[in-house]
Amino acid sequence: MIDSLFSWIDDRVALSRSGRHLLDKIFPDHWSFMIGEIALYSFIVLLLTGVFLTLYFVPSSTPVVYHGIYAPLRGQTVSEAYDSTINLSFAVRGGLLMRQMHHWAANIFVGAIVVHMLRVFFTGGFRRPREANWMLGTTLLILAIFNGFLGYSLPDDLISGTGIRIAFSIMESIPFVGTYLAYFLFGGSFPGTAIIPRFFILHVLVLPLLIIGLLAGHLGMLVKHKHAQFPGKGARDDNVVGSPLWPTYAAKAGGFFFLTTGVTALLGAIVQINPIWQYGQYYAYKVSYAVQPDWYMGWLDGALRVMPAWEINLPGHMIPNVFFPAVLLPGLTFNLIYAWPFIEAKLSGDTAEHHLLDRPRDKPLRTALGAAVFAFYFVLFGASATDVLANYLSITLNVVLWSFRILCIVVPIVVFPVAYKICVELRDTPGAGQRKRHNIIVRSADGGYSTIAADEYPGYVRPELEPVALDEVDLVAAMSADADQGPEGVYRIPRDYS
Amino acid sequence: MAAPAGVVLLALALAAVFYAPRQVRADGAPTASLRSAALVDATLPNNAAALAEGRTLFDENCSSCHGTQAQGSALAPNLRGLGSATVDLWVSSGWMPLANPGVQPARKPSHFTPSQTVAIARYVGSLAPGGLAIPTVDLKGSNPAEGFSVFALNCAPCHTITGAGDALSGGIAAPPLHGVTGTQIEEAIRTGPGNMPRFSTFTVSKAQLADVVDYVTHYIEHPDSPGGGLTLGGVGPVAEGFVGLFAGVGGCVLIALWIGDRDERDGDEGGSGPSHPGHDDGPGTESPEREVAHA
Repeated sequence: MIDSLFSWIDDRVALSRSGRHLLDKIFPDHWSFMIGEIALYSFIVLLLTGVFLTLYFVPSSTPVVYHGIYAPLRGQTVSEAYDSTINLSFAVRGGLLMRQMHHWAANIFVGAIVVHMLRVFFTGGFRRPREANWMLGTTLLILAIFNGFLGYSLPDDLISGTGIRIAFSIMESIPFVGTYLAYFLFGGSFPGTAIIPRFFILHVLVLPLLIIGLLAGHLGMLVKHKHAQFPGKGARDDNVVGSPLWPTYAAKAGGFFFLTTGVTALLGAIVQINPIWQYGQYYAYKVSYAVQPDWYMGWLDGALRVMPAWEINLPGHMIPNVFFPAVLLPGLTFNLIYAWPFIEAKLSGDTAEHHLLDRPRDKPLRTALGAAVFAFYFVLFGASATDVLANYLSITLNVVLWSFRILCIVVPIVVFPVAYKICVELRDTPGAGQRKRHNIIVRSADGGYSTIAADEYPGYVRPELEPVALDEVDLVAAMSADADQGPEGVYRIPRDYS
Repeated sequence: MAAPAGVVLLALALAAVFYAPRQVRADGAPTASLRSAALVDATLPNNAAALAEGRTLFDENCSSCHGTQAQGSALAPNLRGLGSATVDLWVSSGWMPLANPGVQPARKPSHFTPSQTVAIARYVGSLAPGGLAIPTVDLKGSNPAEGFSVFALNCAPCHTITGAGDALSGGIAAPPLHGVTGTQIEEAIRTGPGNMPRFSTFTVSKAQLADVVDYVTHYIEHPDSPGGGLTLGGVGPVAEGFVGLFAGVGGCVLIALWIGDRDERDGDEGGSGPSHPGHDDGPGTESPEREVAHA
């Protein structure tokens, strides 16, 4: 009965062929290949919690008088956006948990993308044929950062309002077109009343749709190219050694989704994030000291802080200081990331297809360069906390600022040779990074010495799971014979199979 | 499996503790302890014996720098005519006695009991006319909403909107407002200690001052503030970013390490082992579709 129902459906949607192919898909086993999944799962958490938030959030700058539960705001004139965010936090059951989970998931989302990108970079996973997927991933990172900024701007609180003000100024700093752009986006001068609804529709519709579409492309290309793998255990450029999607990776990925969600829920439950009831409604005449953006905008904020007060005065037009750290720097950064696969191919002359990943130590120049560039952005990231560091370390703010100006030049210069040297040493040292074994020295009866390699530790037997090739079965033939009773093995699909 | 299960249980227990529903006090009524702290001076005796005690304490602890008649010296300023409020603020906050006159004093546990502090302050206040007496903060009818508004306008630009305090330029810092009493808040606003500006009744009215005290003592301190969990020191996105990256992303990466590998923990991904002959169909066969699974 159920079987016949399935075959009735399958006759019409024809999923079992391609589904079988997908379920038997082999993915290589390595923990670092699961980092991208963190981003995927936190994005799902973002979608789920975000839908909950949209049920209560009112994207409007219309002033209303707060009459809710939180006494220090009662009677204050706030925007509907702020009012509804406070109410969904305090008056909606589970609302604050949902809002905090949403915010933490956003932080984890962008963080996982960056870590995933570092993994791909340092293992050379961007090389042919994966250059396009690297660029797609970079676009996803940019969209994630933008959507994070839009999202934390929506509550219209004092801190995020200051951030929007900075964003307005950054747009204005673009030569010639800046003021037009800023006035176009904000529907007039700052702050206006258009920005909250506009940010809302971008945040909940336009950017998520773009992200979902590009994510589908990202994963589709992953399936098409197959996942790259580390060498060893029989892995070659023309095969994939690992475990099948069903049941191994289905279980792993399913469990990982719940665990990622669990981490997000734990953070949302026990660690406060963005307590906007303490910040209050944004008014252009109110300001708080010590305002930073969320961490993924931190490197831009840090760049703004450490940038000396230079500007270029052209005849009839001034290029303001803000332009260099806040427009030029991210522009160069992302264009460099986009272009890196081609730059490296040009420099190394290596344009061949690669499905085997590099160990970072085996490419010391790339690793050192990547580490130095990453160190530069990490210092900028730290520079967005100049005041917090000065306060906690009891140092003058000015000293901290100057330290960061020097560090953002010195640290990359130091990191490059150190990383290079470490890579070369690791590469040239046999067995580096592996557990050392004791050698038991045995003296024989006639006085000679010999050594026996001991177990890594007593009783340790290393499970060796050497890959075993499975019988290949021609998929089409197997299907036509008897799909249910087909022999076990890997179904082989001819290239021209559609 | 026992260890991860234990971790999960522990985490759930922690979550239960931190996310236990906190009572939002709708009326924002001050708690008994804070109110008594704010009013401690009014209940203390103000008589000749108290003045004599204050004089003894001043002579023992303050006069070596400020002079026996509080007239000041090359080391320390003249205190005559400043009023008892200034002295009370500086002594009760632990700023005085000062170890190093060159740096901005940090708050520390006061050297004196509250009654000793008031005795010193009143003694110094009695030496010369002028200045502000130790104020009495009355929170009856105060409005924390107005206090929040005044705070955001006048205090947050240095002390930050969460009252966590922060470093300002030139080596000075706005101290955190956690753990301050209502009396100290009023004294600081009216006398302007150190680099802080003095706010007269034209800027912050008497009623507004009570509102600010109400807001700071009850909502900056968080006892009545709705929860959401650990506050991370109130420093905002910097601390949040570190938690998000290290606990959030880091925790997830650890989980990936836990479930992601089959047996890669010995760093064997480097390909030292010879490939198994059983699956080697040679480089000549062009079979990019060929996939090999673990048995």
